[in-house]
Amino acid sequence: MTKNDMGNDGGVGLGHPSDLRGVLCFSHEAMATVYEVYTAQTDRQYAAQAAQACFDLVDRLERDLSRFLPNSDVTRINHLDAGGSTCVASSTLECLVIARHMFDLTDGAFDVSLGTGLPSLRLDTDGSIVHATANGVRLDLGGIGKGYAVDAMAEMLEDWDLPASLVHGGFSSVLALDPPPGREGWPLTLSDPRDGSRILERLTVRQIALAASGVRKRDHIMDPRTGCPVRDRRAAWVALGRPPGIAAAAVADALTTACMLLGWNQIERLCQNSPGAEAWVLQDEGLRHLGAIEQEIHHGW
Amino acid sequence: MGGDDRPKKLDRRDVLKGLSTLPALGLFGYAWEKQRRYQRARVAEAAAAAPAPADLQVINVALLGAGAQGQVLTDSMLRISGLRFRAVCDIWTEYNQKRVVNSLKRFKHEPNAYEDYREMLDKEKELDAVIIATPDFWHSQHAVDCLEAGKHVYCEKEMSNTLEGARKMVLAQRETGKLLQIGHQRRSNPRYRHCYDKLLNEAHLLGRIVTVYGQWNRGVTPDLGAPDRYAIPPSRLAQYGFRDMHQFRNWRWYKGKGGGPIVDLGSHQIDIYSWFLGANPSHVMASGGNLYYDPKTHEWYDTVMAVYDYDTPLGPAKAYYSTQTTNGSQGYFENFMGDQGTLLISESEINYAGQLYRDPNAPAWDEWVQKGYVTAPQEQETKPKSDSGAIADVRESVAPDQHTVPVTLRDPYHQPHLQNFFDTIRGKATLNCPAAEAYQTAVAVLRVNEAIEARAPLAFKPEDFKC
Repeated sequence: MTKNDMGNDGGVGLGHPSDLRGVLCFSHEAMATVYEVYTAQTDRQYAAQAAQACFDLVDRLERDLSRFLPNSDVTRINHLDAGGSTCVASSTLECLVIARHMFDLTDGAFDVSLGTGLPSLRLDTDGSIVHATANGVRLDLGGIGKGYAVDAMAEMLEDWDLPASLVHGGFSSVLALDPPPGREGWPLTLSDPRDGSRILERLTVRQIALAASGVRKRDHIMDPRTGCPVRDRRAAWVALGRPPGIAAAAVADALTTACMLLGWNQIERLCQNSPGAEAWVLQDEGLRHLGAIEQEIHHGW
Repeated sequence: MGGDDRPKKLDRRDVLKGLSTLPALGLFGYAWEKQRRYQRARVAEAAAAAPAPADLQVINVALLGAGAQGQVLTDSMLRISGLRFRAVCDIWTEYNQKRVVNSLKRFKHEPNAYEDYREMLDKEKELDAVIIATPDFWHSQHAVDCLEAGKHVYCEKEMSNTLEGARKMVLAQRETGKLLQIGHQRRSNPRYRHCYDKLLNEAHLLGRIVTVYGQWNRGVTPDLGAPDRYAIPPSRLAQYGFRDMHQFRNWRWYKGKGGGPIVDLGSHQIDIYSWFLGANPSHVMASGGNLYYDPKTHEWYDTVMAVYDYDTPLGPAKAYYSTQTTNGSQGYFENFMGDQGTLLISESEINYAGQLYRDPNAPAWDEWVQKGYVTAPQEQETKPKSDSGAIADVRESVAPDQHTVPVTLRDPYHQPHLQNFFDTIRGKATLNCPAAEAYQTAVAVLRVNEAIEARAPLAFKPEDFKC
C-alpha cells in the first residue's frame, strides 16, 4: 500500500514533556521508521530490557513482512506464479488474514496488493501456506505491518507487566495501554501533516489504537480500485478500542487508509460496524469527525 | 480536466519494477534458470508441506533449547516438508518452552514438553533427530547423549565452548555412525555455494586470494532480561549450571558458558575464510578487551581484532577479522581480495549484494557473464570533469568493473542448511557442515581468545585440526 510515509511525524503527537514526567522512552529504527516504547516504570534497566524484547520482535516481523528483503515471506509470495504456494510464518499469515478481512470490510479500498489481485491468494491457516491462483499479485504490507507490529509490542509489554505504556511506529500507528499513574489517559494530538504546529484535536486515551494516514505536498495515496491518486483529502485518523483478541492497531492502520478513499456514508458505516471506532478526515475545508461518540476517548486534555 | 492534468493511472510496470531489473533471458539464461529452478523446487516442497506425500519419509524431530536461536530454527523447520515435531525441551518452562510449543500447535504439531532432555530421550522412542540450540557449554553433553541414544543431531555453532567438548562430539559421531551437522548455515546458502563452486573453484575469478577482511559490528544493546513473573526458580537455574537469571539470559558473555562475540559472530565468518581459502590457518594474533561493558556481567571481550596467517594451496594469505559491539556501522560481511578480483559478500543480501570487482589487468570475464556466473558489469559513473578540464585524474586507478553474484536466497537464512540435514537423513544429500569439518573452525576460532590472553601470536600445527 503506498500509504505515503509521513516520516516520524504521523500527524499524531504526544503531549508536553511536563505531562510525561516519570515516563521512560526507548527508540529503535525498523521498517524505515522509528518505533518507540513509553512506559511509566521506575526500574530503568527492567524497562530497557522489555523495550529491547519489543524491538527484537519488530525486527523479526520485518524480516518476514518486508517487501525489500529478498528472503522475506512477502517477497516469496510476490514471486509466486499461479498454482504456486509458499509456507509463511504464522504471524505473516495472521497479518494477511487481517488485511484480507479489511479488504472485504472496505470494499477493496484497503488493498495490500494495490489492485493486483489480493482475493486470488488462498490463505491456508492450518499449514500457514499461501497459495497463488493467479499470476502477478504483488503485496506491500506497509499499510498494516506497522500496526501489526505495534499490537505485538503491546502484548509483549503486558507479558513484562508494564501495562502503563504507549507504543508507536513512526507516530502513524499508536497504541495506548493503561495511562501513567495519576493520569486519565495518554495525551495525544492530531495535527495537520502540512503544518505540524497546527493542532486540530487533543485527545486523552487509554486502551486505544490510533492510526494516521496522510499526505504532504506532492505526495499521494493511490486508490487501488481506480489506480488514481487521492486529491481531496490531506489526512485521516482512526481511533479504535482494544477488545481482547483484536489486533486493534493493525485494524486501525487499515481503516485509516480506507478513510482517505471512501465516501462519508461508507466511513460512517465502517465506524458503526467497528464498535467504538471514531474517524477524523482532514480536507482543505477543515476537519470532519465521524463515528461513535460514546466511548472512552476524552476530547481535550 | 485537461489532458495533461488527468490523474496518472498507476502503471503496473512501476509496481513490478523490481522484476524488470532482472536480466533478459538468453545472455543470463543460466543464472535466471538456476534461480527459477531453485524457487520452483522450494515452492513445490512448500506446496507439499501439509500432508507429506506418501513417498516422503516423515522425520520425527525434537527441539532441545527453545531460546532465540531455537525459535529461529523452528521457524525455518516449519517451512520444510515431512517433519513431525514430537518434543520440545527447555528449562525455561514458564516462557520459551511454552511459546515454542504454542507456535508448533498452530501448525498442527503436538509436541510433548520437557524440562530435562534425558527424560525426553527416555520417553520419546520414535525420535529420528534432535535439533540442539542450547547454550554452548551444554552442546557437547547434549549432542553426545543424543547421538548415543541413536538420534541424528543438528547442533548450533559453536560446537562447544571447549575443544575437548568439540572433540567428544566428533568421536561420538564416528562411534555411533549417526549424522552430526553443525549450524554454520552459510555452508548451505546457495549464494555462498555458487561463489565457492563456480566463481572460485571453476572460474577462479579472484585469481590468488592474498588478503581477506571481514567484520561483524553491532550497536549497544541492553543485557537480555526476562519478565519478572516468568523467572526460573534459583534451584532449577543452579541445577542446569546458571548462577542467576541474568547469567541464564546472557550466557554468551560468561567464561565457561559461551565464547563472547568472536565466537557468537566471528565463527560464522572465519568458517568461510577457511572454506574459501581451502586451508586452515597456521598462526593467529589477536587483540581484544572489555572496553565498554561491565566486566562483572560481560566476562568475554566486547571488542576483538584478529589476524590469521594461511598457507593456501596457491600461496600465503593473511586474513583480518574484527567484531565490536558498540557501533553497528557497516554490519557484517566478508571481503576476499585476490590478484585478479574482489568478492564482497554477506549473508544479508540487502546490505551486500555479493559484489565482484574485476581487476582491470585480469582476463576478461565475458565467458562467465555469458554463462550467467556473474552479472554484466554495472555502468561506472562518469566522473565530472575537474577544473583543469581533464576527464580523469591520472593519479587515481581506473575503477574496476563491478559485477554481482546472480543468486538470491528466497528462504529464511537457516532453512537450506536444515534442509540439507534432513535431505541427508533421507539419503538424498551429504552434510554441508559435518562435525569433523566444524571442529576445524572451532579450533581456529577458540584460539583467538587464547591469543588475546597470551598477548602473542599463537601457532597452529596441522594435527591441531584433526581428531
